[in-house]
Amino acid sequence: MTLLDTTHQAPDVSVAPIDTGSVKLDVQNLDFFYGKGHALKSVSIPFEANAVTALIGPSGCGKSTLLRTLNRMYALYPGQKATGKIMLDGEDILRPGVNLSMLRAKIGMVFQKPTPFPMSIFDNVAFGVRLYETLSKADMADRVEESLRRAALWDEVKDKLLTSGLGLSGGQQQRLCVARCIAVKPEILLLDEPTSALDPISSAKLEETVTQLKNDYTIIIVTHNLGQAARLSKYTGFMYLGELVEFGDTAGMFTKPVTTRASDYITGRFG
Amino acid sequence: MSITVNAAPRRTTPRGFAFDPIFEILCFTAATTLLVALGGVIVALAIGGWPALSKFGIGFVTGSTWDPNPDHEIYGAAGPIVGTLITSAAALLMALPVAGGVAFFLVELCPTPLRRPIGTAVELLAGIPSIVYGMWGLFVFAPFFAAHVETPLMAAAPTGSVWETLFSGIPNGSGILAASIILAVMILPFMAATLRELLNTVPAQVRESAYGLGATTAEVVMSVTLPYVRRGAIGAVMLGLGRALGETMAVTFIIGNSHGFPKGLFDSGSTIASTIANEFNEASGLQSSALIALGLVLFLITFVVLALARLMLRNQAKV
Repeated sequence: MTLLDTTHQAPDVSVAPIDTGSVKLDVQNLDFFYGKGHALKSVSIPFEANAVTALIGPSGCGKSTLLRTLNRMYALYPGQKATGKIMLDGEDILRPGVNLSMLRAKIGMVFQKPTPFPMSIFDNVAFGVRLYETLSKADMADRVEESLRRAALWDEVKDKLLTSGLGLSGGQQQRLCVARCIAVKPEILLLDEPTSALDPISSAKLEETVTQLKNDYTIIIVTHNLGQAARLSKYTGFMYLGELVEFGDTAGMFTKPVTTRASDYITGRFG
Repeated sequence: MSITVNAAPRRTTPRGFAFDPIFEILCFTAATTLLVALGGVIVALAIGGWPALSKFGIGFVTGSTWDPNPDHEIYGAAGPIVGTLITSAAALLMALPVAGGVAFFLVELCPTPLRRPIGTAVELLAGIPSIVYGMWGLFVFAPFFAAHVETPLMAAAPTGSVWETLFSGIPNGSGILAASIILAVMILPFMAATLRELLNTVPAQVRESAYGLGATTAEVVMSVTLPYVRRGAIGAVMLGLGRALGETMAVTFIIGNSHGFPKGLFDSGSTIASTIANEFNEASGLQSSALIALGLVLFLITFVVLALARLMLRNQAKV
C-alpha cells in the first residue's frame, strides 16, 4: 500500500463525455435484473455513430447483458427486466409498445458461437431480408452477393451458395452470420465475443471484416481479447460487477487508464 | 521433511479390469438375443400363417371378403388392411398439428410457472392405458360424436355430393372416423412430448439469432427451429404412426368391427389388430392361420413405415 501515491487518488468511476451530436445509441441509468439478480447497476454509456465501441471486463461483469438490452433480446425471457432509458436516434427503445421486429431489423447481432440456420448459404443470408422486403430474384441475388462480399466471405462460397450453411468451417459460419445481419441493412451491429470460438486465423479474418464495416455501422463489440479491443475500437468501456467503471477513447484507456480498477484489469492484475 | 519426487506410485490393477470382458459378453448377448427374438417372430408368423397364405395367395391381401363361417372359410384381408392404413393416417393428420402446437407452446410461449405442470400433464396423458381410452371412446365419446357430429353432418351433406358419400354410414358414434379420432388422442401426447424434447435441444443462440433478425415467433418456429429438429421430428412422427398402426384395444372398442371395405367415414370397419383381437379366442385351423398371417402383414406394414422413415432421414441428411 505504501507504493500508492495517496495525494493523487484515482477516481472510482470515470466516464468521458463524447460529442453528443454523434451519439447513435445513448444508454442512460440502465438497471437490469435477472429475476432478483441485479446485473447492471445504473449504467450510462454513449455509443458513437459509425464507430466501434468495445466492451471489456471480467466474466460476469454485465457486458453481454448490456448488449442484450440494446436489441431487447432479454424480452424473450420472462423474469428479465430493464429500467432506465436507451435512446436510439432520440427514441427510447425500452418504452412499452416498441415494435421489436422493426427494432431488431435496425440492430443486428452476432453471437459467440456461429449460428447458421439449417438451410443453404443463400437462404441464410436471404432469411432476414425476406422478413421485411419483397425483392425480385435478381435483386435478392444482388443483396446476398453484396452482403457476402462485405462480410469477406463471397470468394469462398460463391460456387456453393445452394449448399448448407452448416457445411462451412467455424470461421466461415461466423462471417456468414455477419453477412446475414448486414443483409437486412441494419444501422447497428452487436458482436458478442464473435471470435471466442474461432481459431486465430479465422479470428483475424473476422476482425478484418469488422474493420471494413466500421465506417458504415455503429458497432458494439464485447470481447475478452484486449488486443482485439485495442485493434478494432475507437472507444472502450470497462465494466466490473455490473457497473461501467471507465469509458473513454481506446488509445487513452489502454495507455493511461484513469481508474485503478481499469488499470488493474488492463495490466492483467485481475480478471 | 523430505519429499521423494520421483517415487513411482504403487498401483494395483483397476478393480473393473476383470469385469470388463464379462460386461462385453453381457452386452453382446443382450443385443443378439434381440435379433434372435426378431427372427423368431418372423419365422413363427410365416409358418403359422402359411396355410392361409398358400391357400388364398395374393387374394389374402386383395380380397375383401372375410368370412370365418366354417362352411365357406374365405379370408381376404383387404378390409382390415385398408382400415388400418386409413385410421392411422387420419389419426396422424389430426394429431400432428395439435402435437406441434402443444410442443411449440411449451417451448416458446408458455409462462415458466406453467411449463412443468402442462409438460407433466402431457406425459401423464401418454401413459394412460389404451383400454381406458377405448372405454372412454365407447361410453363417452361415441354417444356425443353420434349426436353432435355425425347426425348433423349427414343431414347437412347435399344429396349426390362427395360429402354424402364421405359422411355415409350409421350414425351410432362408432366407425372409421371415430376410431381415427380416438387414435389421434392417443398418439398426440406421445408425439407432443417427443417434439418438446426435440425443440428443447435447439441452441438458444440459434433461436436468438433468428429473433435478432426481427423474426416473429411463428417465423422462428417454422423457418429455423422446426428445420433444425427435422430429422428427429420425422422419427417422432413415425413412432407415433407405428403406435397407431398396432393399437388394438381402443380401436376394437370403437371401430364397429365389420370386415370388408368401409364405405364412408362413419361406416364401421376393422383394423388388422382389432380383427385379431376379436377373433383369436374362438379361432382354430384355417382361421387361426389367417389371423397369424394378418399379424405378419401388420409386421410388414410397420417395417415398411420404419424403412420409409429411414429413407426420408437419409435424403434429408444432406441439407
